[in-house]
Amino acid sequence: MRFLYLLIFAVISSHAVFSQSTFPVNGNRNPNNNYIAFTNATITVAPGQVLQKATLLVKNGTIEAVGKDISIPKSSVIYDLKGAFIYHSFIDIYSDYGIQNDSEKNKKSGSPQLESKKEGAYNWNEAVKAENKAFEGFNIEHDKAKELRKNGFGVVATHQQDGIFRGTAALVSLGLESPNESLEQSEVFTSLSFDKGSSKQTYPSSLMGIIALIRQTFYDAQWYENRLGTKEYNITLENVNRTKALPKVISVDSYLSALRADKIAKEFDFKFIIKGNGDEYKRVDEIKALNSAFILPLNFPMAYDVENPYDAMNVSLGEMKHWEMAPFNASMLKAAEVPFCFTANGLESQSEFLTNWRKAIRAGLSKDAALAAITTSPAQILNLKYTDGTLKKGNPANFIITSASIFDKKSIVYENWVEGQPHIISDRTNIDIRGTYSINIEGIMQYDLTVEGELDKLTAKIKSEDSSKPCTIVLKGNQVSLAFASKGSKEVIRLSGHVSDDKSRIWSGNAISTKGDWVKWGAIKKKEFITEKKKDSSEVMTHGPVWYPNMAFGSEIKPVAKNVIYRNATVWTNESKGILRETDVLVIDGKIHKIGPKLDLSIIFRKKAPEVEEFDAKGMHITSGIIDEHSHIAISRGVNESGQANTAEVSIGDVVNSDDINIYRQLSGGVVASQLLHGSANPIGGQSAIIKLKWGETPEVMKIDSADGFIKFALGENVKQSNWGDERKVRFPQTRMGVEQVYYDDFIRAKTYKDNWTLYNSKNNRDRKEMSIPRKDLELETLVEILDKKRFITCHSYVQSEINMLMHVADSMGFKINTFTHILEGYKVADKMKEHGAAGSTFSDWWAYKFEVNDAIPYNGSILNQMGVTTGFNSDDAEMGRRLNQEAAKAVKYGNVSEVDALKFVTLNPAKMLHLDRRMGSIAEGKDADLVVWSGDPLSVYSKVQKTIIDGVCYYDAERDQELRKKVSTERERLVQKMIEAKKKGEKTKKPEAKEKQLYECESMEDEGYEIN
Amino acid sequence: MNVKVWRTKGMKSIKTILSIFTICGVFVLNAQNKNERSTLILGTTAHIGNGDVIKNSAIGIKGTTINLVMSAQDYRLDTNAYDTVIRMYGQHSYPGFISPNNVLGLVEIDAARATRDNNEVGSITPQVRSLVAYNTDSKIIPTVRSNGVLIVQSTPQGGRISGTSSIFSLNGWNWEDAVLKIDDAIHINWPSVYSSKWENGDIIYFENKNYLTEVKELKTFFLNAKAYSKSDFNLEKNLRFEAMREVFKGNKKVFIHADKAKELSEAIYFIREQEIKKPVLVGAYDALLVADLLVDYNIPVVLRRVHELPLRKDDAVDQPYRLPALLKEAGVLFCLQNDGRMQAMGTRNLPFYAGTAAAYGLDKEEALSSITLNAAKILGIEKQVGSIEIGKLATLFVSKGDALDMKTNNVTIAFVNGQTIDLSSHQRELYEKYMKKYGLEVN
Repeated sequence: MRFLYLLIFAVISSHAVFSQSTFPVNGNRNPNNNYIAFTNATITVAPGQVLQKATLLVKNGTIEAVGKDISIPKSSVIYDLKGAFIYHSFIDIYSDYGIQNDSEKNKKSGSPQLESKKEGAYNWNEAVKAENKAFEGFNIEHDKAKELRKNGFGVVATHQQDGIFRGTAALVSLGLESPNESLEQSEVFTSLSFDKGSSKQTYPSSLMGIIALIRQTFYDAQWYENRLGTKEYNITLENVNRTKALPKVISVDSYLSALRADKIAKEFDFKFIIKGNGDEYKRVDEIKALNSAFILPLNFPMAYDVENPYDAMNVSLGEMKHWEMAPFNASMLKAAEVPFCFTANGLESQSEFLTNWRKAIRAGLSKDAALAAITTSPAQILNLKYTDGTLKKGNPANFIITSASIFDKKSIVYENWVEGQPHIISDRTNIDIRGTYSINIEGIMQYDLTVEGELDKLTAKIKSEDSSKPCTIVLKGNQVSLAFASKGSKEVIRLSGHVSDDKSRIWSGNAISTKGDWVKWGAIKKKEFITEKKKDSSEVMTHGPVWYPNMAFGSEIKPVAKNVIYRNATVWTNESKGILRETDVLVIDGKIHKIGPKLDLSIIFRKKAPEVEEFDAKGMHITSGIIDEHSHIAISRGVNESGQANTAEVSIGDVVNSDDINIYRQLSGGVVASQLLHGSANPIGGQSAIIKLKWGETPEVMKIDSADGFIKFALGENVKQSNWGDERKVRFPQTRMGVEQVYYDDFIRAKTYKDNWTLYNSKNNRDRKEMSIPRKDLELETLVEILDKKRFITCHSYVQSEINMLMHVADSMGFKINTFTHILEGYKVADKMKEHGAAGSTFSDWWAYKFEVNDAIPYNGSILNQMGVTTGFNSDDAEMGRRLNQEAAKAVKYGNVSEVDALKFVTLNPAKMLHLDRRMGSIAEGKDADLVVWSGDPLSVYSKVQKTIIDGVCYYDAERDQELRKKVSTERERLVQKMIEAKKKGEKTKKPEAKEKQLYECESMEDEGYEIN
Repeated sequence: MNVKVWRTKGMKSIKTILSIFTICGVFVLNAQNKNERSTLILGTTAHIGNGDVIKNSAIGIKGTTINLVMSAQDYRLDTNAYDTVIRMYGQHSYPGFISPNNVLGLVEIDAARATRDNNEVGSITPQVRSLVAYNTDSKIIPTVRSNGVLIVQSTPQGGRISGTSSIFSLNGWNWEDAVLKIDDAIHINWPSVYSSKWENGDIIYFENKNYLTEVKELKTFFLNAKAYSKSDFNLEKNLRFEAMREVFKGNKKVFIHADKAKELSEAIYFIREQEIKKPVLVGAYDALLVADLLVDYNIPVVLRRVHELPLRKDDAVDQPYRLPALLKEAGVLFCLQNDGRMQAMGTRNLPFYAGTAAAYGLDKEEALSSITLNAAKILGIEKQVGSIEIGKLATLFVSKGDALDMKTNNVTIAFVNGQTIDLSSHQRELYEKYMKKYGLEVN
């Protein structure tokens, strides 16, 4: 019988190989147009659509019919699948099966590689590989295919997962003999990512650089399509345009990057399919609002081994919470009606796929949704022509046969059929022989045999009188063999025989006794096998609350604005009124409503008094919130795009990280707003983001919407790479002389660029057709914004010569330097700065960390201030950022600045520099209620922040902080216990690891952190 | 010297004589008995350094030494007893602040390699000494002492055993002249239990697989050095082992740098196992978790920089600020330091770390002790300096306001070993130069 099966398989296979092919045949052709009927099976035609005792009819690799009352044609091979289950095989659309990765090809050379090393007429940047076509490089990888089939996959969309633009993915099936047959659809999507991959070219070195490069490439492709004349042939851009109509999939590293990806898509008016990171549950509402489909990984983090409390200290609460929540990601997205499918991508072994898939079900995902996510949803998301992921008539016959419901963890995949070709994973014909038997050998010896375990992994025990011994058992088809030690002896008796009836009650055969004689034996079943139900694995999982952000000091409920009257405080107004004692400040709807002594609410509001909370601030001081003009907190993956000397196209605004603990830490020091600046690696750096530190909100909510645009420039040692090691001596400029020429060159280019566009825009449509449309250049666009006074410069600067130089460049090119930051030799050119109109945002007392700060003096702030320059102190440092009030106090110490002026150094003056002083920076009626309540004099080292209020919302409260600390430790302990429990249950664990945010300052280099003081 | 004073402080005077003797005998000082100048400072609120405060004080200096400390109200003015009398009513006087574990004098400009003398090649180099590299003419020093920091433990860095530190007064023509204690301690960087790597902008700490090997290397070195030191004469000299002799005799302290709980408890075990006579832990962020051991074994702590971020995301935001108060409560002897970024230059902010510690629970005078007397005790120089007490070296200063608060720290006069020092600096000169350029008035 078994031989017959094999023969049939062979016939079917050869049919598929040879029918309708351009390939010549060696020997006779072997057509087979028989039907194959699978009867009596439980068939899940589509998620939620289950047929009992149904038939699936297949012909020539295609489903002919499925249903309960199917008439089976005569020319049918029939398989009775009684007790078995049929599902559509799984589809993974984010695979790299059969594709060679070129990440190995690139080796880093000593000095920076500024240009692409790829040979041919391709893009200037190596990480842009839109020309890659998976279908061209695709080859069958037999071992991998086998592994995938074993885990239920039938079809995958595959592509090379390296680079930012990765080219197109091909849909391939996993069971066919040649690549020609396996390729089902040559191009199903184009792939992008936020990962530079193996390219060793210096640009882009940061996430914001990657984002800018993606945008510029899309613009370049548009320009390329519409240009006149063919000065440049670019295979890469050709391909970007050629594949425009395909779905676009982008792989991201976090939910924040999912939001970032969507911003790009909006700019170019399409939708991304987002291959997520599995942490989308952290912001379900925002994810839902994207209206994008997601490809979700199932690589849930392992529990940490936290039994050693010292080691456990290294695991942050955020990591622990993520461990708990990750399996719930899918069910939470489902509840929010976000469309998604699953991928095995990122799993260490394919075998974890179904395990984790079932875990997602225990974590609340409905079975139907879970099944859809690996069958119909992937087909739907890519709008596949090949299949819709169901077993309906006309679809390719891609299905799996399983021993039990696929949702049961004991279910075994027997067979995986790909386009009608079978692949045996586990022998379906095996009968269930589990139970307890009485064995009789030659009528003399009597034993009890117990067979148990899994169907594909039987175990047996033999028992005579009192002793129980292990017994080897092998079942192949109906043939069974046993081997065990005989009674009272170590010698082994070997039995061979067959299972005689279909209920497997009786076995019989021959045995070799210990003496070497052949004897007869027989077995009769005495007791049926009863499957034990283990509770734990099928238990429904539970989880704790999601916090905003989902880490220490986050909150379940985001704080809201309150109307509050702060009574009897000492109020530093930063206005002409100066410091007012015993004064009330009334905050209504996020604005400062009124200031004055003994405010009477009934007079202010007459009868329509809103609800106002009273706060007795007697003995306390209230100041305007601290504004840090120069900060590098809350930035994801790189503060410097150091790949080029001019990176005006990149923007910190693209990479704001709202989940940085330093936001909360700075709130505890009274900071309400920060300018997040690009680093100082290049003369023209990237654009800034100005945010209010609304802890718990998302980046877009944090950004101050009406704020002017700013950009970072830099001078001196960093831009000439003086302290970057001997390898970095190639990039222009390497001297202060070169720096000047970078500016002239770039601004002259920007002017020409602007002129070209002005000319183009001045023409009517007919004329335009005859001219080439100028190429949109994001870098020059930004410089034009500067020339147009729509973007303003904050320039990192140290020594007087360069400060002077840049003001000359600016004057001659027709723009202004808004703010010199660091500006430690500003005191030497304060008069010139005043004349130019530049502000100075400096350090209170930093110096001696590099050669160019040798003449830095702590009196700098005082001199600048006296000379009429708008003067501020900034942090450039996550630690100092939370005690800028103390830095301001140093202005009193060094150079005798008045206390009122000193406080302005960190409040009103930075607000002026950021053009926000109309709404921020002082306590005046109508201004934003960005306030700090201090325990005492804000300039004293002995004072502490009691409350930090932004737009009327209290984001930091010293009393609430005490509660949060307790909450952090309770939540930690809860999760530690849960992890220990998981370990006990046999879950894999990993050694504790600590993740700390890299702290950026101006000079932090590159993604991977390369820091020079 | 005033007779009355000698009577009222009779008991102490004997001690004073003894301690002066000790100082002169052991330490290199430029005290000259002939023509000893004397100065009397009147009217300051004297913050002694040991917790005591004397309002309206009289502090007498003769030669290198303090010879009078008392309330000016109890002191009958005898201006003839002193060459100079300075009246500074309303101001505050403090013992010179002490900055342990610092590269001041070894590093001038962090980024300029030619100016760095803090980190020698090799892992175990106890024989290299800061003493001979200490630059008395560092331009940073005047900016530091003008904030009240008058003593530094100039300390090598890097490797497993970085080298041997020495303690200097921040005034002197050359290192021989400036040194207060020669070769006071060796510095061990305890092996980290965790290694670290970068990943997507995160620093990830994971198990250091070489940890046990690294500890073993250190132990092996100690065992060998100890064996070597048992013989007074070694035919072939080993400079590393020689540098350890004084450690085993108990004359040289052992500073072990470690922060995390596991490392600290391992280091404490090492201290006991190796019978280290004068151990000090440096950094010790997790010290609270091993506080009982620190108390039991009398191990003091040079605490991690107060103005530093919490080590872990989950830690209370003010954890580094509160640690001094919490350690005090736990009974651990500790002092503050300035190890970290911009270390040499940032030394002038040491007083404000103490200020922050006071804001977060430490009594103000205790906070002062953590950069004066307690620091002196931990460095083993408490007999010479660390407080304004009779018999100690006159290394002290006067500030117009509270010297622990940046707003009011304003040093008006400072003495090192009885000599007044120049409070100007490269920075002050530039300030005055450019104020003059702009026609602005310096005040």
